[in-house]
Amino acid sequence: MSNSSDATALIQPTTKTVKVSECQNIDILSDLPDCVILHILSFLNAKEAVRTCVLSSRWKDLWKCLPDLKLHSSHFRTIKIFTKFVSRVLSLRDSSIALHALDLNRKGCIEPRLLKRIVNYAVSHNIQRLGLYFNCDIAQIPPTIFSCQTLTYLNLSVFPIGKRPFFPKSLNLPALTTFHLQNFAFCADHDGRAEPFSDLSRLDSLVLCDCSVRDGIFLCISSPTLVNFTVRSRFYDFYEIELCTPSLVSFAFIGKPCQIISRSSLSSVKYVDIDAEMLDMDTKHPLILLSSLLGLVNTKSLTVTASTLQVLSLYPDLFEIKLPSLGNLKSLKVKMKPLSYELRKILVYTKLQKIKSRKEAAELEKAYKAGLEPSSIIPEGIVEFLLQNSPSAEVDIVDWSWSNAHSIT
Amino acid sequence: MAAEKSSIKIITLIAADGSVFEVEPNIVKEMKTVQSYIDELDQNTVSIPLPNVFGNDLAMIIEYCKKHASEEETKEAKEEFDFEFVKRMKSDDKLRLLQAASYLNMESFLQFMAKAIAAEIENQSVEFVRDYFQIESDFTPEEEAELRKENEWAFK
Repeated sequence: MSNSSDATALIQPTTKTVKVSECQNIDILSDLPDCVILHILSFLNAKEAVRTCVLSSRWKDLWKCLPDLKLHSSHFRTIKIFTKFVSRVLSLRDSSIALHALDLNRKGCIEPRLLKRIVNYAVSHNIQRLGLYFNCDIAQIPPTIFSCQTLTYLNLSVFPIGKRPFFPKSLNLPALTTFHLQNFAFCADHDGRAEPFSDLSRLDSLVLCDCSVRDGIFLCISSPTLVNFTVRSRFYDFYEIELCTPSLVSFAFIGKPCQIISRSSLSSVKYVDIDAEMLDMDTKHPLILLSSLLGLVNTKSLTVTASTLQVLSLYPDLFEIKLPSLGNLKSLKVKMKPLSYELRKILVYTKLQKIKSRKEAAELEKAYKAGLEPSSIIPEGIVEFLLQNSPSAEVDIVDWSWSNAHSIT
Repeated sequence: MAAEKSSIKIITLIAADGSVFEVEPNIVKEMKTVQSYIDELDQNTVSIPLPNVFGNDLAMIIEYCKKHASEEETKEAKEEFDFEFVKRMKSDDKLRLLQAASYLNMESFLQFMAKAIAAEIENQSVEFVRDYFQIESDFTPEEEAELRKENEWAFK
């Protein structure tokens, strides 16, 4: 790529018009520097990238300089072919070039030796972005990952064999800004609290998917730098999250509300996005969801899905509650994502319990079977409930059918 | 220095075909090639010829920059814009815009175009990719066969 001194040399401020004839012969590809072609190849999976070696002699060894490697077993017919491929790529790649990003996604249990080789290669080539997705025992994850000085982004989505893997007690990742963890169990101290991230001095974004606390009920996250925090919860891991994160600006939650967010933890948060779900009747979910909303004292923008509002509506006598929060809301967005089958069933069941006459009950069941129940995807009165302290906030109902959501991504 | 920079109100960009674009300074921030030139000046207006970028392409790049520089637009709106932006382009346009992005030294736009191009050549045959990039193979059929054999671990 042209550096700035080259760039200024190309610009001649005195010549106001340039003859068209001079520029008609811009040869598109031969003018593209290798680094630009490598940008394109970085977006391909490694198999496709390596295959460009037969295009022409210029391309023969180009892939060996790839700064990004996407190694996905799904692009290969068998795991054996994939393993051989990974091994060849690591052997043949130009090892004088730093590896910027590595994304390893392997179906099933990874061979410990291969994993060790990949991680050691990445760490010794100054890896900055590392994504690992596979099944394994955490004991097999080379500990060098947790003390890599160059890592800025780490995504560990490890699917355990048996129990969920334990998260290491100490981390030495001084450059890490984005941390994405799936399926880890944090070990609590003798007082029942786990505090796994306090060593990360530059943490900006944290995503916890289906994580739990072992031998305890408190997960403490203290980070003066954390700005974005996301929790996804598909299972039933009930614990309390205590945030000591004064810079936290945005918070997102997806899944079943199982984690209580401690009081005043979310007081600095401006942007909140909640997509709550319920797959069976458990009164704890609406209670936990409501308790999170009570902490949103400085939130300007709240985005919720229709299912979130439905889960909330299951809290008994909800409308009698005087909210101490949501007084600074400027915008409320409701995504009209269709309700799940299970949630619709829960809603109808709850309604049925309140109905006295048989005839009415039969009509309700009929309407449910015809897909007409719940009649309104947003529960009546709930928007007004949320806006009780910010009546002038803008309300936006967003169409969020599956097709729409997918066409954008 | 900061005061000098803010004194520039309008930047005139002149494309290869002579077409003229007047833009605000925040629009060209991502164009490092242009920016480095502006930084060395202390005038109220600047006009910069870009002999390697055609007017149509520059218009599209400016449209993209305007959308992305806007603070009023939501993330979703920007994503939808990006989606539509790529959709209306032909392969040639993408390659030309990639070239322009490289020349203007626009990091995120370059990434965006590279990604769009990668999506087009992903899972395509060698012939398709050669055609797409207008590559003349300088291998004899024997050499190519040899190369495939050598790298058969990638062609399984």
